[in-house]
Amino acid sequence: MKTGKKKWAALAVAAAMVVGLGACSSDSTSETPAGEVVIPDGPLADASGTLTPSNPTTLTAWITAAASAPAPDNKITQLIKDQLGVTLEYEIVTPDNVDQKIGVMLAGGEYPDLVGTTDLRMRLLEGGALLRLDDMLATGDYPSLSEHVEPYIKKMSYTGGEVEDGLYIFPNYNRFYGEITGGSYYGAAFWIQKRVLEDAGYPDLRDMTIDRYFEMIENYKAKNPQTEGMDTIGFELLASTGREWGMTNPPALLAGSPNNGGVIVDENDHAEIYANKDIAKQFYQKLNEEYEKGIVDPESFTLTFDQYQAKLATGAVLGMHDQGWNFQTATQSLQGAGMDQYTYVPLMPVYEGVEPWYADRDVMNTNQGFGISTSSEQPEKALKFLDLMLSEPWQKVLSWGIEGEDYEVGEDGMFYRTDQQRINAKDLTWRASNRLEALLEVLPKHQGQFSDGNAYGPDDQPTEFYDTLTDYDRTFMEKYEKQTWREFVNDPPENPVYYPAWSITLSDDANMVNQQLTDANVANLPKIISGSTADFEANWQSYLDVVSGIDVAVYEDAINEGIQDRLKNWQ
Amino acid sequence: MSASVMSPVSDKKSKAARQIPPKKKITWNRVWAQRALIAMSVPLLLYQILFKYVPVYGWAIAFQDYKPGRGSIWNQEWVGFDNFAQLFTGVNGERFTRVIINTLGQSSLSLITGTLGAIILALLINEVKNVPFKRIIQNITYMPHFLSWVIVAGLVSVALSLPSSGGFINQALMNLHIIDEPILFLTQPNYFWGVVAGSNLWKELGWNTILYLAAITSISPALYEAAEIDGAGRYRKMLHITLPGIRPTIVILLIINTGWILSTNFEIPYFLGNGLVSQTAETIDVFVLRYGYQLGNYSLAVVAGIFKTIVAIILVGTANYISKRLGQETLV
Amino acid sequence: MSETAVITPEEHDVTPQKRVIPKPRRKRWTLERTIFTTLNTAFLCLLSALMVYPILNTLAISFNDGMDAVKGGIGLWPREFSLKNYDVVFHMHTIYQAFFMSVLKTVVVVATNLFFTSMLAYALSRSEFIFRRPITLVFVLTMYFDAGLIPNYLLIKDLGMLNSFSAYWVPTIISAFNLIVIRTYMKSIPDEITESARIDGAGEFRTWWSIIMPLCKSTLAVIALFVAVGSWNAWLDTLLYNSGKQYLSTLQYELQKLLSSSMNAGTNTGGMAGTAASVGQGGQVTTPIALRSAITIVAAVPILLVYPFLQKHFVSGLMIGSVKG
Repeated sequence: MKTGKKKWAALAVAAAMVVGLGACSSDSTSETPAGEVVIPDGPLADASGTLTPSNPTTLTAWITAAASAPAPDNKITQLIKDQLGVTLEYEIVTPDNVDQKIGVMLAGGEYPDLVGTTDLRMRLLEGGALLRLDDMLATGDYPSLSEHVEPYIKKMSYTGGEVEDGLYIFPNYNRFYGEITGGSYYGAAFWIQKRVLEDAGYPDLRDMTIDRYFEMIENYKAKNPQTEGMDTIGFELLASTGREWGMTNPPALLAGSPNNGGVIVDENDHAEIYANKDIAKQFYQKLNEEYEKGIVDPESFTLTFDQYQAKLATGAVLGMHDQGWNFQTATQSLQGAGMDQYTYVPLMPVYEGVEPWYADRDVMNTNQGFGISTSSEQPEKALKFLDLMLSEPWQKVLSWGIEGEDYEVGEDGMFYRTDQQRINAKDLTWRASNRLEALLEVLPKHQGQFSDGNAYGPDDQPTEFYDTLTDYDRTFMEKYEKQTWREFVNDPPENPVYYPAWSITLSDDANMVNQQLTDANVANLPKIISGSTADFEANWQSYLDVVSGIDVAVYEDAINEGIQDRLKNWQ
Repeated sequence: MSASVMSPVSDKKSKAARQIPPKKKITWNRVWAQRALIAMSVPLLLYQILFKYVPVYGWAIAFQDYKPGRGSIWNQEWVGFDNFAQLFTGVNGERFTRVIINTLGQSSLSLITGTLGAIILALLINEVKNVPFKRIIQNITYMPHFLSWVIVAGLVSVALSLPSSGGFINQALMNLHIIDEPILFLTQPNYFWGVVAGSNLWKELGWNTILYLAAITSISPALYEAAEIDGAGRYRKMLHITLPGIRPTIVILLIINTGWILSTNFEIPYFLGNGLVSQTAETIDVFVLRYGYQLGNYSLAVVAGIFKTIVAIILVGTANYISKRLGQETLV
Repeated sequence: MSETAVITPEEHDVTPQKRVIPKPRRKRWTLERTIFTTLNTAFLCLLSALMVYPILNTLAISFNDGMDAVKGGIGLWPREFSLKNYDVVFHMHTIYQAFFMSVLKTVVVVATNLFFTSMLAYALSRSEFIFRRPITLVFVLTMYFDAGLIPNYLLIKDLGMLNSFSAYWVPTIISAFNLIVIRTYMKSIPDEITESARIDGAGEFRTWWSIIMPLCKSTLAVIALFVAVGSWNAWLDTLLYNSGKQYLSTLQYELQKLLSSSMNAGTNTGGMAGTAASVGQGGQVTTPIALRSAITIVAAVPILLVYPFLQKHFVSGLMIGSVKG
């Protein structure tokens, strides 16, 4: 009963506050700011006078990011306050929790000013949480954003039909300016340890086949059955929960198709699953043979992801199929221990007569990034903030840091870092006080190059890449006459218009079929691979029987529909 | 004399039962007489109805093609029993049957081993005379409860792996010459229920013991004295005093747990259930996660929730009824 | 016969101090006793070793260098000692406030929960109470259904409890499971005790508070432990109801976010969606596996410390049993 009373009291207070607030805000909008607008000097200030320290602004930002909120003493936070008068209030939700949070946010219908979403299902957008931005951009008040979206407006715009077509989200990654630089390769490959190639006398890696790949591993393993006191493992198959693609994706890559997820798209833009085709059978038969030879680790199917990383980090694993970003921790661990010969080089085995297409051009996730919420009372200011953050001076601050503190400028105008600055950048605690990671994660970025020729960030700066290479790696690259790891994989051709098919939003039914396919793979492929080679045909057949019990057409049709939609809207 | 020692609890109960008036008619007089008890309970009842029962309107989602993007629950497309049909028929239906069997198997095994283990451990700890030792044992055995399942799953996976990867179970079995070749336990469907029950037992054993230990403290020392005068040994006291003394607790916990039998065992099957063992590993909650939440199909998740509730109420009702017929403690 | 079976109040309320054993009896050192004690001790030691191993293992990993920990194979002792993982945890600026909020929340939840649940349990333990069965049924059923996140959220929102401390404790003042446990225990207290209280003129409220409650100490201690652990470990309430206000954040929620932020940036985009650029930002000295261990320890230690304090309430009872043994 007590709570009931309190509740009514609270309601009354709230009502009074709403009335009061309404009055206040109408006041403040009708009259021009009393104090004069003081715009600070320098390239970081807002020349338009919308965001100035003399007229402070508080923006609330909801962000999906695997990052902590900045520390209270964060220097970039202070810089934003000094230059723009903007205070940011963060609500950061980690990707593991975001599904639950989005559900209740939509039910509640109240959102902060800035909504930074990474939801591939676009629930906030389709649920009406985001503002359509085309008209605001058309005013010309937001030059950086306009330049950012202009060439790709069709691809960035929403066309799903749940809300009005148009631009709602500024994609956070992979809208490139100038040349794409960077030396590391983070995509898919059949990886092999450098020591294997070294031992084989740096063989020619062109026209790699799956047979040659395994032959190198077999030879090396025969010669070196032990690694650092452990049994050498020939090939590790990544199959842990949620990462089954390590086991299911290779057939498409071997067949010269880029990563479209569960389907191969032919030259007529028609998609088909490949899991039950001969290209898949051929690969799993090979794995089955290698398993029988003891090359494939029998523990592959039971490893948790931690265990998988642990095995790679010991240096005992000669090769695996994986995407580069997935085993960074293991690589860093090996590098940290000075065991460069145990780190990996990407190889691209293919079936006969096809060109490898492992490396693709980085694609925009058009439904990930910042939007302005429909319940924001200051959409212009929020948008202006995004616009300023995308300007080159601010992008350098966000990505490189403060000149003289976080990076140095050479006589040629190129940015570089000292060793200490490099170490700082890896320190979680330091980063909390000196970088705005959560914000930057969802902000639109000036990837590629700045107008002065510097790369967007330290990791993409060619000199930074080369300077941080170890002697072993330099020698290794010289043997192959290459400058970067990227040169070990194919030069990515122009992406097809629809690419990639795996990011197509599917209907519930299609999603369900897709999940059934994944489950069929997960349940059957390990049996096929680890079964006796004599039983291969029978095991394969029973797998085909399971697949034929699934209504694959529902999935394929949905993908093809998505491809056609994209061809229509994105060209 | 010794007869009373044998069954102190049921004796007390039957005594209490005799005191209950045979018929209880609700009259205004009685209501008025019990106004204090009503004041202590009815406001909390209303509170519970507000916080637990009112939100159940959310089950409407089960009959909708629910899309959070459409906003309110009342702004959705109604599809009748389509979601139920989707879950219980077709490809999903076959799987769902298997998933139910797995859940029942894993949970029953866990419940039996967990209950027996906790009772036995409570009895054994009760026999320890050295108080500091007893305290230490208690403190240690309940610690695994505080580890998250991610960590436990990781440890279980390592423990069951090959000796070269740190699999000490294989190592031990080989040293004892029980097996010649290491077994990849997590690739064998036949072992999976055991893995689940074992992991649960290990993680929750000490924690589950706490309630029984607390129940043991309520047993009157006079009973033990009397039994000793009768010349009863350690095992007779355990069997005839301690066990009957904690019987109401055992019975109540068993009844409550039968209702949760379909709702348990998500983590181990989720973290360790690889493709080779999926036919015995996958449980309802894992299935619902994969086909409901992860695919944005909330309706399916709610349908499964309703199904579990119905089964739970049937199971608990049955268990409660059986217990009542056997003259044991009841839930309601 | 009934003298031994019926427990009198005095007997029920034994504490070691009060209960003086009249004459110490001589222990009979039989072979059976020795064998049993030895076997029992050995078994319990073995069991404890099995139980304590993972804790020590987690502790060892938490004090190990992160990059080295990735390799696995760490046993009871760190291989490359490092305080970096704890350094990261304790440098998180939100952690101290969150710790305080967690303590406050846990204390309030335990207090309100014990008060209301035991009061209700008392009413439902009275066999003469006419609404006993229907009310019990209403509560029992709540153990077996869940309305779902969204309706629960909307209720909290409509009650004006979003982003407020009340969202932590108001919805949870009764737990059906604890209710049943306490009620079952109260039922085992002989009716004579309440009857005599009534004859002395005590009302129901006083009977509950002054007579029954003290008799339930051991069970209440257990329930307090259950509620405290549950409240301490909960983070979903913070995420759903109170994530908009930093000062309301709890330790578990902050630690969970920290763990998530330490994960390789590329992995969060889900399977194949990893983009090269997002990984470039990564790179860290700690690794998720080592940080997870440190976080586990930091999150668990405060609540583990509660147990020894509550434990005495049931060890005191056990001691009597042991003297009698």
